[in-house]
Amino acid sequence: MSTVPDRRATRELRVDRIACTGHGICATVLEGRFRLDEHGYPVVDRPRVPREAGDTAIRFCPARALYWADRP
Amino acid sequence: MNESLWYVSRATGVASIALLTAVVVLGALVSGRRRPHGEQATVVMAVHRWLSLGMVAFLLVHIATAIVETYVSIDLVSALVPFTSGYETLWVGLGTLAVDVLVAVLATSWWRHRLPERAWRVVHYSAYLLWPMALVHGLVLGTANEMPLLATTILCGVVGVGAILWRLLALPHHDRARRDAVLEQEWT
Amino acid sequence: MTVDTPEDLVGLLDAAGLTGRGGAAFSTAAKVRAAHGNGAHLVVNACDGEIGAVKDGYVVEHHLDELVHGARLVSGGGRRRRQVRFAAHRGSLTAHALGRAGLDVLEVPDRYVSSEETSLISLANGGLARPMTKRRPFVMGGTDQAGRRVPATVVLNAETVWRIAQVVERGPAWFRSFGTAREPGPRLVALTGAVARPGVLDTEAGVPMGDLLDAARPDPGWEHVVVGGLGGVLLTADDARSTTWSTAALARHGGAVGPGVIDVLDPSRCPLDVVTSFLTYAAGETAGQCGPCMFGVPSVAEAWRRLVETPSTRELEAVRAAAGLLPNRGACRFPDGVGRFAASALEVLHPHLAAHASGPCPTERSGHRVHRA
Repeated sequence: MSTVPDRRATRELRVDRIACTGHGICATVLEGRFRLDEHGYPVVDRPRVPREAGDTAIRFCPARALYWADRP
Repeated sequence: MNESLWYVSRATGVASIALLTAVVVLGALVSGRRRPHGEQATVVMAVHRWLSLGMVAFLLVHIATAIVETYVSIDLVSALVPFTSGYETLWVGLGTLAVDVLVAVLATSWWRHRLPERAWRVVHYSAYLLWPMALVHGLVLGTANEMPLLATTILCGVVGVGAILWRLLALPHHDRARRDAVLEQEWT
Repeated sequence: MTVDTPEDLVGLLDAAGLTGRGGAAFSTAAKVRAAHGNGAHLVVNACDGEIGAVKDGYVVEHHLDELVHGARLVSGGGRRRRQVRFAAHRGSLTAHALGRAGLDVLEVPDRYVSSEETSLISLANGGLARPMTKRRPFVMGGTDQAGRRVPATVVLNAETVWRIAQVVERGPAWFRSFGTAREPGPRLVALTGAVARPGVLDTEAGVPMGDLLDAARPDPGWEHVVVGGLGGVLLTADDARSTTWSTAALARHGGAVGPGVIDVLDPSRCPLDVVTSFLTYAAGETAGQCGPCMFGVPSVAEAWRRLVETPSTRELEAVRAAAGLLPNRGACRFPDGVGRFAASALEVLHPHLAAHASGPCPTERSGHRVHRA
């Protein structure tokens, strides 16, 4: 469980909503920042996530639906 | 010494097939109506990835010992290029071919985000071809007199076929079903 | 006004402060600058995609020469030859008129989201007329969902392109003599629904909405109006009469000038039924690409139907919750619009809902013959 303060994360993590098929792994890896709606799709409460957790979520997403925004 | 190497090669070979079967089964679980969700999905994905690395470790020992031991003639070239070994050309070749495909699967997965998604998908799905090749290679070459090895390999075969059937026959997940339904409408 | 270089054109548009007339109101100067910088192809959106919209067709019918001139101004200059296509719904009068004029027409299927910016780009690129994920603006080029390359393309609303020609012809000062400082320039608005004189008015921001409505002569006893169609908001007659036609004023009601549609609701029809029709239509128009939309929009429609059937606080909260899960969760702004519309309906029709809960529908009681869709 990461306790890295958000100000050290410089970019937002985004969801490609068309690619996303609702596996829900992101909400587990990014607990406290992403959660899931009743149909299983992510709700992004806090898009700025720590780099490491974000990279993990990107790698683990079976649908390749996560990406870092271009700019901070 | 030579005989130990031969034994280690067969044992690590069966271990590799067992791990490969587990990896393929976990991969097959990612689709379909009953696919895991949230925390469960995270565990499945993590184990899928980690087991594949463990499998590579056993596979490397399996290949290295097969090359080094001198009882049968398998050299480095025939461990990379299919159907070039002196010993049991066809069956060893199947194993080599399976390893070649596996290297492609691992490489494309490692660099997934630098590749077009379609390329990754095609290579990754060829794991369903690589698995039976590895299984047949193991069944024919490695298990003749050893009940435990044979039993393990056959069990892997049953479990693997089961997973593949599950994958083929499973009803679509609600996400897939809705996408397909809407795609039938007029969009051009 | 002479426009010798693309920079001249951008300078004029910047000075005029022209913003998109399709609904998003993005700076046209910025879009044209980016289009030139990237050698982008142009798609002129004449689809009138919003419910009740007709102003794009109006521009094609009455100002086609200026429209074509504006398109040439945008796509001209630079070394690479840039394509210009005019998008309109297949079989529409607008498509017919554009074709008759010998223009390159992009025929769009009759679907609500098909006239969205990235849908048009997808269709123009040989794909389906459905939205695409926009990692970067497509004016810079990008890839479609299958990973195929999409050339740099910019989409501008037909009215916007017409206004570009006008700004060049008459100058930024002329343009700024209309409207307000923050929302300058003349703008078209379509008045439709329960009015004796439906049609398009060439008006400007800052005009009292009451004046626009009076010009259209709404049916007596009218009680509600929808501003901005399915992606817009409801207003009561009182609020509409006391509001200025501007995004600054409409923001107080959660709305905006948007694509310029004012739809007066038929006073003989229960407004709850009207909203049901809108939301049911919306549920069938999802592109089926994003989970929160393809499941979430039908959820809102379903929750609304249950609310109308048995009005209660619980059902009301269910609609609010479902609508609250729509904004910012799709590849395009369709679910955002539906969420905005539903939330607005909950707010504005709260008294009507309360009346339904404790007695007969006020529309019935007011003596109108109730027309149930």
